[in-house]
Amino acid sequence: MAGKGGSTPATYSPSPTTDKKKPSLFNEDLARPDGRSFHQCRPAFFRTGAVNAASGSAYAEVGNTKVIVSVFGPRESKKAMMYSDIGRLNCNVSFTTFATPIRGQGSDHKEYSSMLHKALEGAIILETFPKTTVDVFALVLESSGSDLPVVISCASLALADAGIMMYDLVASVSVSCFNKNLVIDPVLEEENGQDGSLMITCMPSRYEITQLTVTGEWSTPKINEGMQLCLDACAKLAKIMRSCLKEAVSDSQE
Amino acid sequence: MVGLSLGETHFIQGGIAQDLRCDGRKRLTYRPISVETGVIPQTNGSARVRMGATDVIASVKAELGKPSLLQPDKGKVSIYIDCSSTAEPAFEGRGGDELAAELSNALQHCLLGGKSGEGAGIDLSSLIVVEGKICWDLYIDGLVVSSDGNLLDALGAAIKAALSNTGIPRVEVAAGTSNDEHPEVDVSDEEFLQFDTSRVPVIVTLTKVGRHYIVDATSEEESQMSSGVSISVNRQGHICGITKRGGVGLDPSIILDMISVAKHVSEQLINKLDSEIASAEADEES
Repeated sequence: MAGKGGSTPATYSPSPTTDKKKPSLFNEDLARPDGRSFHQCRPAFFRTGAVNAASGSAYAEVGNTKVIVSVFGPRESKKAMMYSDIGRLNCNVSFTTFATPIRGQGSDHKEYSSMLHKALEGAIILETFPKTTVDVFALVLESSGSDLPVVISCASLALADAGIMMYDLVASVSVSCFNKNLVIDPVLEEENGQDGSLMITCMPSRYEITQLTVTGEWSTPKINEGMQLCLDACAKLAKIMRSCLKEAVSDSQE
Repeated sequence: MVGLSLGETHFIQGGIAQDLRCDGRKRLTYRPISVETGVIPQTNGSARVRMGATDVIASVKAELGKPSLLQPDKGKVSIYIDCSSTAEPAFEGRGGDELAAELSNALQHCLLGGKSGEGAGIDLSSLIVVEGKICWDLYIDGLVVSSDGNLLDALGAAIKAALSNTGIPRVEVAAGTSNDEHPEVDVSDEEFLQFDTSRVPVIVTLTKVGRHYIVDATSEEESQMSSGVSISVNRQGHICGITKRGGVGLDPSIILDMISVAKHVSEQLINKLDSEIASAEADEES
């Protein structure tokens, strides 16, 4: 497990990052608050089977961001819901009260649930479980930047652990824009001071984007650059996720 | 609305493939847009936008509040959307909550820029009265009166018109107050400041049906969409926000193509909208 990082200052100014010149890839000392270069992701750790009661579950750590996701179903839909030829997907993302530097701050992210839903529904083969519902519950144990991409990646692992048929694993990465610099996989300090952000969720094997969110002001070449950065990082992240699934299978066979 | 039959489905998709939609439009043509401003006198600014049968109202209310800790030199803007059940029976009770949350989230992404305040449609620094202590809080409320597809573009246009109609009272800060105390302010009843809305972007939603994309989809066309992308473009041609809608995945090259198409369409939309807003303001004054 990664050690707990230092506490986040309440008021963070992005100017130290903005003023620095772009470092060479191998010179990590002059770079970001946690020492990474601009285009380097935090170390990612995934594990499936974290919750016994769930059909599928996964735990993810990316840097200091820690997420646990449970999947229940396919199970019978509630009676109030109308008949549906394809399956239903319910998503809920919540934060523990101790997840953020200031207690209870995580309740501001109500839109995360619908964004998670949109990211996953393009990847799940809903026709395989008509009339039933799959519930995905995500809990952010510690929020340290790039929470939603970690939730999405972890949720796709949990769905795979539950045996839900999917076209591909779903990997998600975001970049932050500071003036003219693109910073991948931002930490909380960087997120709080960013000029703009771009988050991509994709199915790497199919090379399809299932979710794309951009905020702030971007020029088109910059969006191109950001998208390419994210897609490359998603491909690498998907490899880590696949190896995690393979490990789980080989472990259970021993 | 009731689901479409298979024949209707094929008709709509076939028409879009031939660049002829049910109402006679081409793929990249908007329905007629009309704008009224100042429709709600009690607000600081308001506007009503009709796009075909889609009808939305946006209002802006300004209140004095305290700046956030992270940006003590900037005012605050919030966007709330209400999907009234008068627009559609499905919005009864809490039925419209999910769509309303989705719309307000997309609008905040597109209009309010990054967390540092860069790229916002209006200059948030102009909302500061006393740095760290007093600022203007803008509450932007959108109401869906009638729903026939393309709510996001209509709401984006209405908010742009409402901001253009907004007058903020001038505030005088009492001189001689020490730095520790809460400053005393005098809000003018007669002098008002207006926003520069030239940087407020417009939202263009491209809906993918079959192998083509269309703008300004009606409800029926939206039910046929595999996916869509809402792109916010300002007058300078910069992308101010992108939100992908619908579940099916999109190839990155298609998304980039959609971005360039949206930039092209937004030029006409911005000019059309600006002229509509200008004439609406002129009508209001006369």
